[in-house]
Amino acid sequence: MADLRLESVSKSFGQEEVIHDVSLEVAHGEFIVFVGPSGCGKSTLLRLVTGLESVTSGRIFIDGVDVTHVKPSDRRVAMVFQSYALFPHLTVAENIGFGLRLAKTPAAEIRRRVAEVANTLRIEELLERKPRQLSGGQRQRVAIGRSIIRSPKVFLFDEPLSNLDAALRVLMRLEITRLHNRLQATMIFVTHDQTEAMTLADRIYVFNHGRIEQSGTPMHLYNAPANRFVAGFIGSPAMNFLPAKVRRQEDRFTAAIGSSVVPLDRSLRNLPQGEISIGVRPEHMSVVDPADGDVEATIEIVEELGAEVIAYLQIDATAEPVTVRLPPQRQVVPGQRVGVRLAHESFHLFDSDGALLG
Amino acid sequence: MADAQARVAAREFNPWRAVLVISLGCLAVLFLAPTVGVLLSSIKTTREIAFGELWTVPRTIYLGNFVEILTNPAVPHYFKNTVLVTVPATILSIALGVLAGYVFSKLPFAGSNLLFLVIISGMFFPPQVILIPLFQFFNALGLIDTLWPIICVHTALGIPICTLLMRNFFATVPNALRDAAILEGASEWQVLTRVALPISLPAIAVLATLQFTWIWNDFLWPLIFTQTDENRTIMVGIVNLRGQYSVAWGVQGALSLLASLPTLIVFLFFQRYFIKGMTMGAVKG
Ligand SMILES: Nc1ncnc2c1ncn2[C@@H]1O[C@H](COP(=O)(O)OP(=O)(O)OP(=O)(O)O)[C@@H](O)[C@H]1O
Ligand SMILES: [Mg+2]
Repeated sequence: MADLRLESVSKSFGQEEVIHDVSLEVAHGEFIVFVGPSGCGKSTLLRLVTGLESVTSGRIFIDGVDVTHVKPSDRRVAMVFQSYALFPHLTVAENIGFGLRLAKTPAAEIRRRVAEVANTLRIEELLERKPRQLSGGQRQRVAIGRSIIRSPKVFLFDEPLSNLDAALRVLMRLEITRLHNRLQATMIFVTHDQTEAMTLADRIYVFNHGRIEQSGTPMHLYNAPANRFVAGFIGSPAMNFLPAKVRRQEDRFTAAIGSSVVPLDRSLRNLPQGEISIGVRPEHMSVVDPADGDVEATIEIVEELGAEVIAYLQIDATAEPVTVRLPPQRQVVPGQRVGVRLAHESFHLFDSDGALLG
Repeated sequence: MADAQARVAAREFNPWRAVLVISLGCLAVLFLAPTVGVLLSSIKTTREIAFGELWTVPRTIYLGNFVEILTNPAVPHYFKNTVLVTVPATILSIALGVLAGYVFSKLPFAGSNLLFLVIISGMFFPPQVILIPLFQFFNALGLIDTLWPIICVHTALGIPICTLLMRNFFATVPNALRDAAILEGASEWQVLTRVALPISLPAIAVLATLQFTWIWNDFLWPLIFTQTDENRTIMVGIVNLRGQYSVAWGVQGALSLLASLPTLIVFLFFQRYFIKGMTMGAVKG
């Protein structure tokens, strides 16, 4: 049985609908990541699940029970906020035990369970401190501690790592994975961060303008994006899009990128004639001698990252700059004239509305 | 190096600093002068004062004025009445301000901003405008010469400032704290009492001091609403100490000093809550 199920959930603030008919299912123990641009409704969706906001229409089920009209604290969901939201006047122990205290749990029981949680998160020595005496990472742990103590069915994290510096983010990311493995709990994690999404998720939901654009495993979204938005959103550096014109030549299609013509996959049957956009990932391009490539280009910027080289080039035929991922031994310098070879079998074709073709 | 020297020099010749120090000094003297006058008058005999020796350094300290007010049977009445007015009115006005301020900042509803402005505008009514209708109102209720009208009026007059201050303070309490508390099972009342109020102690301390001092020192409303000596508050009482034919400067001075002690104590008590940064650590930063 799914731990969380949304059925056609919509939400409006006044006249403005910000969540449009979202349906989704999260199985027990799954680690789900919500990604999407700022303002697409990720936080709003989490708040709908918690009950802090009520749905305009649709239904929400947790563990098979319709909780659409159940109050937040009875839904068995816990949320970790981006700002941590620790109570500044309470100690760490009191913060973690806040909910138990409200539920009139006996003091000895609260102490025992707080100690247990503190042990899990390795914050035993911080229990008597106030939040202002903690570092960002420690606050984050306390916020997680407060969320796990009442053993909720579903954990919600709203960009919990975005206030931390890069190194700490990586650490906390590992820690959350560890926590997920240990608790075998269902988690939904909202992030802006590519890497976080790709590394943490069993399954990713990509949102845009309050709608689900696509869902699937990270590799599925990477290899088979359902539309241009997902293609551009998943992957870093982002996919390149080359404007092209489709032509039919006997039984097969070709695409003209400027004055260069590249053949398209034989299996493609019905392509519209006209303007399309060809999506190619940076690793599906290679730099060769000017005469040998599919298109000619000039190198603009070179970033040497050790394990790889990222080169930004200007293709003669198009105004758009493209990004190419090269092996580290590949020597290129800014200003150099090169040819770019495209891996034709790895093309993603989109029409002018961004829908996948073929 | 040269830069630092230039800065020191600039500080030495800054005329604004001198102007500031001098004006603040003058202000301090102006504000303290009456207090010093009262202090001096309280330890001098009426005779000395009558001869114009109020501002001289006293040769002997005369304690007769204090003996006189401490043995005056009316004085304990004055104090008791003032406490009976000030404490409930302070608590009530703050309690109402807290409730209204919480709703305005955390639970806004259609038209709540307008209602807030209406309440705040109550601060700008001069008391003279509402004095006569209020007198007639309480007279009709048969409450003249009791403490009730004074308590009611001070509670009501305190609501605008209490609401304004609490609303603005609650607005600085992050909404995420309320969300977190509600997720943990708190009711709106528990959010207020267990989260918002403890964080807002500095604001409450400021309000308590303000309201207590203002109500304790008020002269107008007790004068209007009370008639007999048993129901007078201290400020009216001071004026009443005047003898039939003479002005008892010394005795009045002594009672004024005693009368200002409670406000001083309240200030010293709440002053330790005037600490800032109670919300630090709640959110990032
Ligand atoms: N209480 C509210 N009243 C009115 N509009 C709101 C409210 N909360 C959110 N919105 C609107 O709903 C939309 C979605 O907001 P939401 O906070 O869910 O975005 P988000 O995806 O979490 O963005 P971010 O990544 O920046 O956190 C935004 O356009 C926002 O302005
Ligand atoms: Mg958000």
